[in-house]
Amino acid sequence: MTKKGDMLYAWTTDAEIQKKAELGGAVTALWKYALESKAVDAILAVTKGVDLYDAKPVIITDPKDLAKTAGSLHCGTLLMPKLIKKYLGGTKHTKIGVTVKGCDAMAFYELAKRKQLDLDRIIMIGVNCGGSVSPVIARKMIAEKYGVDPNVVHKEEIDKGQFIIEYEGGHKGISVDELEEAGFGRRSNCRRCKMKIPRQADLACGNWGVIGPKAGKATFVEVCSEKGAALLDGAVKKGILATEAPNPKGIEIRGKVEGAMLKLGDKWRKKDFEGLGDGKDRLNKIMSETSRCIKCYQCIDQCPICYCVDCTTKNPVYVPPGELPVNFMFHLIRYAHIADSCVNCGQCEEVCPAEIPNALFMHAQQVELEKMFGHVPGLDMELPLHAFVEEKAERARLANTHSDMIYENVFNPVPK
Amino acid sequence: MSAEIPTLTYVPTTCPYCGVGCGLNLVVQDGKCVGVEPYKRSPINEGKLCPKGATCWEFVHSPDRLTTPLIKKGDKFEKASWDEAFDLIAKKFKETSDKLGPKSLGFQVSCRTVNEDCYAMQKWARVAFKTNNIDNCARICHGPSVAGLSLCFGSGAATNPFEDVLNSDLIVLWGSNAVEAHPLAARRVIQAKKKGIKVVVLDPRYSPTARLADKWIRFNPSTHIALANSMMYWIIREGLEDKEFVKKRTKGFEDLKKTVEKYADVESITGVPTEKVKEFAREYANAKSAVIIYCLGITELTTGTDNVRSMGNLSMLTGNIGRPGTGVNPLRGQNNVQGACDMGAYPNVYSGYQKCEVADIRASMEKSWGMPAGSLPDWYGVTLTEQINQCGDPIKAMYILGLNPVVSYPDSNHVKASLEKLDFLVVQDIFWTETCEFADVVLPGACFAEKDGTFTSGERRVNRVRKAVDAPGESKIDYLVFAELAQRMGLKGFDWKTGKDVWDDMRACTPSMRGVTYEKMEKPESVHWPCPAEDHPGTPILHCEKFACADGLGNFFGIEYRPPAEVADKDYPYTLMTGRVIFHYHTRTQTDRCEVLHYEVPESYIQINTQDAKELGIKNGEKIKVRSRRGETITKARVTDDLAPKVLYMAMHFDKGANNLTNTALDPLSKMPELKHCAVAVEKIREA
Repeated sequence: MTKKGDMLYAWTTDAEIQKKAELGGAVTALWKYALESKAVDAILAVTKGVDLYDAKPVIITDPKDLAKTAGSLHCGTLLMPKLIKKYLGGTKHTKIGVTVKGCDAMAFYELAKRKQLDLDRIIMIGVNCGGSVSPVIARKMIAEKYGVDPNVVHKEEIDKGQFIIEYEGGHKGISVDELEEAGFGRRSNCRRCKMKIPRQADLACGNWGVIGPKAGKATFVEVCSEKGAALLDGAVKKGILATEAPNPKGIEIRGKVEGAMLKLGDKWRKKDFEGLGDGKDRLNKIMSETSRCIKCYQCIDQCPICYCVDCTTKNPVYVPPGELPVNFMFHLIRYAHIADSCVNCGQCEEVCPAEIPNALFMHAQQVELEKMFGHVPGLDMELPLHAFVEEKAERARLANTHSDMIYENVFNPVPK
Repeated sequence: MSAEIPTLTYVPTTCPYCGVGCGLNLVVQDGKCVGVEPYKRSPINEGKLCPKGATCWEFVHSPDRLTTPLIKKGDKFEKASWDEAFDLIAKKFKETSDKLGPKSLGFQVSCRTVNEDCYAMQKWARVAFKTNNIDNCARICHGPSVAGLSLCFGSGAATNPFEDVLNSDLIVLWGSNAVEAHPLAARRVIQAKKKGIKVVVLDPRYSPTARLADKWIRFNPSTHIALANSMMYWIIREGLEDKEFVKKRTKGFEDLKKTVEKYADVESITGVPTEKVKEFAREYANAKSAVIIYCLGITELTTGTDNVRSMGNLSMLTGNIGRPGTGVNPLRGQNNVQGACDMGAYPNVYSGYQKCEVADIRASMEKSWGMPAGSLPDWYGVTLTEQINQCGDPIKAMYILGLNPVVSYPDSNHVKASLEKLDFLVVQDIFWTETCEFADVVLPGACFAEKDGTFTSGERRVNRVRKAVDAPGESKIDYLVFAELAQRMGLKGFDWKTGKDVWDDMRACTPSMRGVTYEKMEKPESVHWPCPAEDHPGTPILHCEKFACADGLGNFFGIEYRPPAEVADKDYPYTLMTGRVIFHYHTRTQTDRCEVLHYEVPESYIQINTQDAKELGIKNGEKIKVRSRRGETITKARVTDDLAPKVLYMAMHFDKGANNLTNTALDPLSKMPELKHCAVAVEKIREA
């Protein structure tokens, strides 16, 4: 029996999964078991769309369909939790298993705090993530830096600091540092990310630290919750998953890789945040960049912190409707409502048609707030700063004014 | 437990609004569109969308959708079967054509619908009735681009892709408010600016796009030719023209040179000081690669074609064409305005701009379409708004697909009075429009989410449109409506089942499209036409080695400035310009059914200069009356310094709005009405 905190190597013994599996197929086997044992009703996974640069979400209920899932797609930049909130009605109707990157895991906690979904009805298998590359950038990078037609690439991976492609007739790796120097590489939020091993998931999996005879043939699993332990034990008992104690040297290596990634994250934070300047300079920079906003509302639509039925940005008292340039209050409202909880998932920036570095602005504010108040979003169920604001008085005010402002919904979601 | 596990399907498709052609994912659950999610794999927009694209799923299942054919009986429209409707349409059109000939019919094709619908409709009209009275609404947006660029370069399309501005040294946006009208093309300009590429915007109004610019040049409305001529005067005078390019690749330079000699100082016309003109002329001529992006500010005038040719003159004079980072790019307005023209929904060309007047081409089309030799007409058909003028005489029966002339054509009162004169009008659309009131038969079509097909964007890229859900009720996929009408009339060559069938029919008779296959369009990179063979990679940049003219040379034209047809005077002292807002598309049949878009701009407004407002005692937000010689409208004043005094700006999206005022005077070459310029009077509404 495993317990929270255990670490092990795991691989599947299921012949079907073995045929397609990467790194021993442990994650696929765990999901197969989760479906068969009815631990979950469905798995929300990522599958390849038109090619390996195109990540699409897929809901799987039949274990046979797990083969469709993609393995790692570093060019997929989907954020899964918001999809569950938006399209599946949260977890009310469905118990869901999801393979998560760090930002997914953090977003799940933030949505759960806001009662938009129930973590008891979710199983998260976390996977190490060193960052992802937007699909079009990836294709350009492969054409320009690798001199390879992106259409002939059939596999990509990030390993030992390199982005490696395999294609008809060869493979090629270039260091991520070099790619990022040249303006390619990971999304800028990924560069600043310090959630490389998502331990707030039920299991944290990856290939870091798998050495010796099992290198490339097993997955390193860290058990992060009782739920995770039960899933793992069940799969072993069912006979589709085998495990062994990890090589102690492997544990050390895993720690080192994580440490190096965190350091790199710090380096990028320093660079990016310093680039914003301080005080009024920073404000001016933010005001000037956001002045290009065209009010597509996609930063809000894609944000895992935003959940209000009636968004304050649509209150004409604050933001006059139908006007370009958009009143700066639009952005101030976002900052006020989100900054304490921003998990730096990067969606707001990736989808911005006006090329506003939204994630950078929000993340910079989150980091400042964290320094001041010590609240770290996305790690656990600790409530954000906002939730502690004079709740009773706030509630009374809302009740008296029939307002639809944000706090009304924090503890008591309004049904749509 | 888990009786019903929700599904979640992404259908990658193309946005139904502007000509940028953004990719997006329609989210489908239980046979219904429930959302739009970013399609980050699209090289065009990388998942980014404007307010319209992001909400384009909302109108799909609107309860207001037309779901059955309707036939007018007496004063009332009654539900009818397709059989009944088909029989009536076939009978009426056949009778009219038999009795009064091919010029008694008019066919108006939408630029909002897929290429396959456009091709199908024009093929049916041409094969069944031997008529060329077929046009599409490019006529009232980029007709002058097609005409003007064809005269200059031999091809009427944009020369370079949107993303190519990143290869420029200077980006000139002239009469284009891309931030609102083509937001994801403007995004490329934003990217370019971030790279340090200089952006100059020429616009009488300090538009959201002008706000992006390093330099904004305000000029008096509709004085483009004077300004361009003056630039060229100084370029030639200072010897900055690209002499080698002019010599090797063009003709007509002397004509140009002679004409621009009179334009050294045009400040009295344009309002732009000569020093400023000189400075900008030098900048444009000296840039290694400069691109001109223009839009309806250039085209929607009685000088539209000449304005476009002036852009062509500038680019050739400085050798800024036929290379990366250069070019002359009209931002096509509607999602498929390029495609509707490409498909031959045009009064003088078949698909791929094959001219009807050329006997060999007619013979080849007759062969492709299985028609007797000599049956296709050689005459130039009647254009869009001229068809309206000809309603009653000689046009007796008209078929309108996905257009709302009563709101979108100039002088709404004239349009209504004209449509009244028809004996028989068919309107095929997805919603009941103001134009349906004038119909005898209304047919329910299918929207972009309900059919497989293609839109061709403003960069000549053919983008796939994919079926996500079934059309509502009995509504039908539009190309199948034409297929059934044709079959009912006993015509051969219309036995299409799918969008691909129609496309392949078109490809077979269209040399420039032959290599654009559905297979190649599977990847979102797709293909830029011309693409003459399946192993051809397509042509992102036109005119690299030679121009598309018969002799391979580009043509300069010496063009004199002409004022607009109607200028401000004592009785109508204000100049009204029209345009668009980012939150709406055209006559709002789709966008106003999206909650947030309606919230943003629920009603029309007019921008008026602070000084003018003060003089008239008009406050911001106040309702005012605006009159022209043709009609009047009541609208809300937005008081602003974005406009010069005596100039007003109004968006065209609203019923009984701007087009109650606009002028029907036409550009002689392209028949474009002067939608962007008319004289109006403004009145404060006195409280009763």
